[in-house]
Amino acid sequence: MNPITPFRVRIKFAKLENLRFIGHLDLQRLFERALNRTGLPLRYTQGFSPKIRINIASALPLGFISSAEVFDFWLNAPVDLQEIREKLQAALPKDLQILDIQEIPNQAPSLQASVYLSEYSITLPDTYAQNNIKAKLSHLLASETIPVERRGKTVDIRPMIKEWALFSKDGSTVLYLQMDSSATSNGRPDELLKLLDIDPADVIIERTKLIFEE
Amino acid sequence: MTLIDKKLLEKILYHVEKPGRYVGGEHNMVLKDWQSVETRVALAFPDIYDLGQANLGLSILYELINDRPNILAERVFSPWHDMEDALREHHIPFFSLESKTPIKDFDILGITLPYESIYTNVLNLLDLSVIPLRSEQREAHYPLVIAGGQACFNPEPMADFIDAFAIGDGEEVIFEIIHTYQEWKSQNQNKIVLLNNLAKINGVYVPSLYEVKYFDDGRINKVQPFTEDIPKTVLKRISPALPAPIKKQIVPNTQIVHDRIAVEIMRGCTRGCRFCHAGIVNRPVRQRNPKDILEAIDLGVKATGYEELSLLSLSSSDHTQILDITKAVYEQNKTRRLSVSLPSLRIESFSVDLMDELKELRPGGGFTIAPEAATDRMRAVINKPLADEILFETVETIFDHGWLNLKMYYMIGLPGERMEDVEAILDTARKVQQIGKRRHGNRIRVHVSIGTFIPKPHTPFQWANSEDPESVQDKLDFLREGMRQSKIKLSYNRPDSTLLEAWLSRGDRRLGQVIERAWQNGAKFDAWDEGFKKEYWYQAFEESGIDPGFYINRQRQSDEIFPWDHISTGVSKEFLLEEYEMSQREETRTDCRKGCHVCGILDCFSDIRPNEQEVYWGCP
Ligand code: SF4
Repeated sequence: MNPITPFRVRIKFAKLENLRFIGHLDLQRLFERALNRTGLPLRYTQGFSPKIRINIASALPLGFISSAEVFDFWLNAPVDLQEIREKLQAALPKDLQILDIQEIPNQAPSLQASVYLSEYSITLPDTYAQNNIKAKLSHLLASETIPVERRGKTVDIRPMIKEWALFSKDGSTVLYLQMDSSATSNGRPDELLKLLDIDPADVIIERTKLIFEE
Repeated sequence: MTLIDKKLLEKILYHVEKPGRYVGGEHNMVLKDWQSVETRVALAFPDIYDLGQANLGLSILYELINDRPNILAERVFSPWHDMEDALREHHIPFFSLESKTPIKDFDILGITLPYESIYTNVLNLLDLSVIPLRSEQREAHYPLVIAGGQACFNPEPMADFIDAFAIGDGEEVIFEIIHTYQEWKSQNQNKIVLLNNLAKINGVYVPSLYEVKYFDDGRINKVQPFTEDIPKTVLKRISPALPAPIKKQIVPNTQIVHDRIAVEIMRGCTRGCRFCHAGIVNRPVRQRNPKDILEAIDLGVKATGYEELSLLSLSSSDHTQILDITKAVYEQNKTRRLSVSLPSLRIESFSVDLMDELKELRPGGGFTIAPEAATDRMRAVINKPLADEILFETVETIFDHGWLNLKMYYMIGLPGERMEDVEAILDTARKVQQIGKRRHGNRIRVHVSIGTFIPKPHTPFQWANSEDPESVQDKLDFLREGMRQSKIKLSYNRPDSTLLEAWLSRGDRRLGQVIERAWQNGAKFDAWDEGFKKEYWYQAFEESGIDPGFYINRQRQSDEIFPWDHISTGVSKEFLLEEYEMSQREETRTDCRKGCHVCGILDCFSDIRPNEQEVYWGCP
C-alpha cells in the first residue's frame, strides 16, 4: 500500500510524421522510457513486476496522425505542471508534441472507459474527384448496414458512423467523420475509405478530437 | 543530393510490416544539416533494424563521428523482404534512416561484418543502393566501401566487394580513414591513389593491392602485395583503453533485440579456450574501472530511460574488481527500477555470490553456465578445464540460493570428440536436474543449449576439420531422445545451418564468386533460420567450379599458408600451433594472467600500453 495520494496528470498530445508509423504498444513503451528520463517521481503499478502507471485513452491505428491524443500518468507527489510539461517535452521525440497538460482528480474515471467518440479529418488528393465521392458516400450511408470483414468476422460499421461532411478547405477536399471509439464499438475511417475506392495510404488521416463521457 | 520522394515513401510504409523500422526519429538520433559538413558516412549493419540497432560497435562509431563538427554519420539497416520488394518495384535507391538520403550519395559506406552469414546481405544492400558490387567496378564517384567487425579478421571471402577493411578496434582508425579520404578528395585524384593511401594506415587492409598464388591442389602458395610500399602483413588496431561509454544511446521506437543499456566492462579474455575466436582476436584484456562503469550506467539510465542493463564482457568473473562492481551497482540502483544482467560467469560458487549481489535488481531471472564439454578429456582438448565436483557444487549453490531456471551451454562436433563425450552431456544434465529437484521438486527447469563447433581462423583449431553434418545430426538425435525422456529442454541449430559459417569463416578470396552467385540465386538473410537455403549455395559452388568440401573436410598441415595469415591479431601462428598440438595431446594450459605464455600480443602492443593505474591490462 502506498500512503501518498497520487498526483494524476493528463497530457494531450499530437502524434506526427515519423511517429505515425509507431504502433500502440511501442508508444506505450516509448512513454514509459520518456517519463523515466524526466526524473519525475513516477508512480508504478503494484504487483510482481511493477510498471510505470500510464493510461493511453485510445489506440491510434498505424499510419494515422493526430492532434488530439490523450494519456494519463501518475506521480507520487505534486509537481508544477509547467515543469512537468517542459521536462516531458524535452524527453520526447520531436514528432510527439505536448498540446496541453492538466491535473486530474485521482478518482476521475479512466480514459479508456470514458472515451466514446473520435473525430477525423481526411484530406483527399485532387485525384479523387469530389462529386463522385459525395455521391458514393451518400449512397453508402443511406444503406442500413455496411458490412466489412474484420479478422475473419463480419462487422456492421454503419452504426459506428455518427456524422460526416465533405467540404473544401484551402483548395483541397476534406472528409470529416465522427465515429465510435470505445472498447465495444470502434469505427475505422480507413475501412470506409476502402469502400469508397480510396487507398488509405494515399491520404493522411488525422484524428482531430477525442470525445469523453462527462 | 537527391531526396527520396516523401509521398511515395509514406505510401509504401503504410503497407509494409513494422514500418517503424524505416522511419528513424528516435530519441537521441542525430540529424545534421547535410551541407554543413565536409564528409558524410553511412554506417550500415546489413540486417534488419531490429537486430542492427542493438549493435554496440555501430552505436559507438555513430556517436564518435557525429561528435565531430565537420562529419556526419547516418544509419542503414537492411529492409525486410516486403520493403525490399516495394523499393525495387518503385525503383527507389536504398536510403539512410536519418535524412532518407540515397546511400550512393554518401562519401563513405562503412559496413559492420560481425559474422559470415551476413555477406549476401551486403551484396543485396549494395545492389538496392544502386552501387556496383565489386570494388573494381566502382569508380571514384561512388562511396568508398569499408568494412569492420569481428568477421574481418579473415577478410578474404569479401575481398572482391570491399575497398578497405579496418582490422581490430575501429574507434581510432575510422578517423584516419576519413582524414585520408578528405585529403584525397580535395586533390581530385583517381581511386587507385585513395586505395594506396588507405593501405598505409596501420590496421587497414586493401585487398586489391595483394596478389594470391595457389598450388594446383588449391592450397595457397603465396600472398604478397603487388608493390613494396604496401605492408606484407596488416596488424590489427587496438584501443589502448576501452572507448568512453556512449553518452546518448539511441532509444528505438520499436522493439529490438537486446533492448537495453549495454556497458562494456572488459574487452578480451585470458582464459585461452581453444575454440574461441573472440578470446584470441580481442587480446589483450583491457578493463574498465568501477568508477567509470558506474558513471556509464548513470549516464545510460538518464539518457535513455531504460529499466534494463547488461554488463558486457567475454568473461565477467575475470574482471579483477568484479565483486566491488556488483556491490556498487547494487548500491547505485537499489532505489531505481533497473534490472541488471551479468552474463558469462565462470562456473564456481563465487559467481553465485556475484549474482546474489544483483539478485534484488532482477527478480525472476535465470542462471546461465557454459561448461561447453562434459568430460575431463574433452575439456582438456578445448582447454576449458572444470572438475565435475566443482560443477555439481556450483549447481547446488545456484539452486540453494533460490534460482529455479538453469541454462547450460555445450558444444558438439569438437575435434577428437567421441560418443562417450556426447553421452556425458546427457548424464550431466540429468544429474543437474536431480540436484535441482532434490531442493525444489518439480519447480526447477533445466535447459540445455547445444552449439555445433566450427573451426575458426586465428584460433588453435584453425588446422582442424569440421565434423560432417550427418554425424553431428546423429549426436543431436541421441541428445534429443535422451533429454525428451528426462523432460529437459533442449535447443540447438540444425547442423546444416552451420555449413555456411564453416565454409566462409576459413574461406579464401575465390569464394567471392560463390557469394555473388549464391546471392544471384536468391540467397539473403542467411543468418536467419528460415533464411539459409543450402541449395542456393551448392549451386553457386558448382557454377564456380569450387568444391565446398575443400574448406571444411580437410585437416590442415602445420605448414599450410592460410588465407588470413597476412592479417595479424598480434597472437603468433607459432603460439596457436603449439596450442593445437597440446590439444591433440589433451594437455591444458593455465589462464595466462597467472603466468604469461608469450602469445605474441605484448610484442605487438607494449609500446602503446597505458600506465597501469589508468587502465588495467590482463597481461603481466
Ligand atoms: S601476452 Fe601473455 S598474458 Fe597477455 S594475452 Fe598473451 S599469453 Fe596472455
